Amino acid sequence: MNHETELRLQAWLDGELPSVEAREVAALVERDPAARALWEELRITKGVLKANELERELPATREFYWSQIERQIRQLEAAEAAVPPPRWFSAWLKYGAPAAILTALAVMVTAPNLRLGAPASVTSHAEVDSPLDDISFFTFRSEAEGMTVLWVSNQ
Amino acid sequence: MSKKIDYASASDEMLVRGSQKGDMLAFEELVVRHRDKLYARAFSMMRNEDEAVDLSQEAWVKGWQRLKQFQGEASFVTWMTRIVINLCLDQLRKHKRLRTDSIEQMDDESGGVERQMPVVTINPSEGLERSELRARIDRALKQLTYAHRTVLVLHEFEGLEYKEVAKRMGCSIGTVMSRLFYARRRMAGLLAGLKEELKP
Repeated sequence: MNHETELRLQAWLDGELPSVEAREVAALVERDPAARALWEELRITKGVLKANELERELPATREFYWSQIERQIRQLEAAEAAVPPPRWFSAWLKYGAPAAILTALAVMVTAPNLRLGAPASVTSHAEVDSPLDDISFFTFRSEAEGMTVLWVSNQ
Repeated sequence: MSKKIDYASASDEMLVRGSQKGDMLAFEELVVRHRDKLYARAFSMMRNEDEAVDLSQEAWVKGWQRLKQFQGEASFVTWMTRIVINLCLDQLRKHKRLRTDSIEQMDDESGGVERQMPVVTINPSEGLERSELRARIDRALKQLTYAHRTVLVLHEFEGLEYKEVAKRMGCSIGTVMSRLFYARRRMAGLLAGLKEELKP
């Protein structure tokens, strides 16, 4: 008997063979004494094991065992509470904050022109403070061209 | 007015619902009820008391963290047992990484001595008290390699199908079948040997 046949015998025993193959293996066990003997050995071993796992008692008192679990849970929960702000907040800081600053600058630059009757101010090479360390802004306003250029740098 | 809960007489389902709402006393009761089973499963895989205690505790901590994911498809204790099994498998994988390709490992796949072993005709359970039979099975399991023992535990004790065992152990179904075959043959030989030793 080759190993493949041995494994098919076992698969039949475990109910893992499709019905067509199961019929073939059943016929083999019926006619071949060696196959039948092996199948019997596997069947008895499976049966004996299945119903006879040794029960074990935890070698620790209820209080001690639970106290360690509880301590670990408390530690994890404390660590979670101290975790930095969630990702969405970081993402907002990265992309939303510069966008908000840009909007504010645009409003600052264009607002004088919106005021009725107010003389248009001339601003050139103005530097605006940024609350973000690595981003700076420069604006240039050309009254002649009627245009404002905003330069954003992260250098 | 808050309702006083009798944890000891509450069902697992009630305790799980309470735990999911953050009631740690309910969770403690679940631990008390099922700690032996989880420890026994960890021990059957690791064969080491300290590791089994540590891994079973780790499983309870993970269980608490993941309680919201528990939907009740299986029983709570089955769900917890799966967690401890996964932790044990991770631990075993870590151990295996430290080992080189030993003869023992190659035998896991090829069958080693079980390949030439004659078929055992003795029924190891005949004429034995159940407790004695269980103790013998445990002694025999101890003599198997980790790979053989794990596949037996997952298939025979946990009732997992071949494909589930393969998925958890990270190997092919063919490897599971082969390991299971040789593990059973080795167990048959060991149990018969233990029985023969007792004959006058």
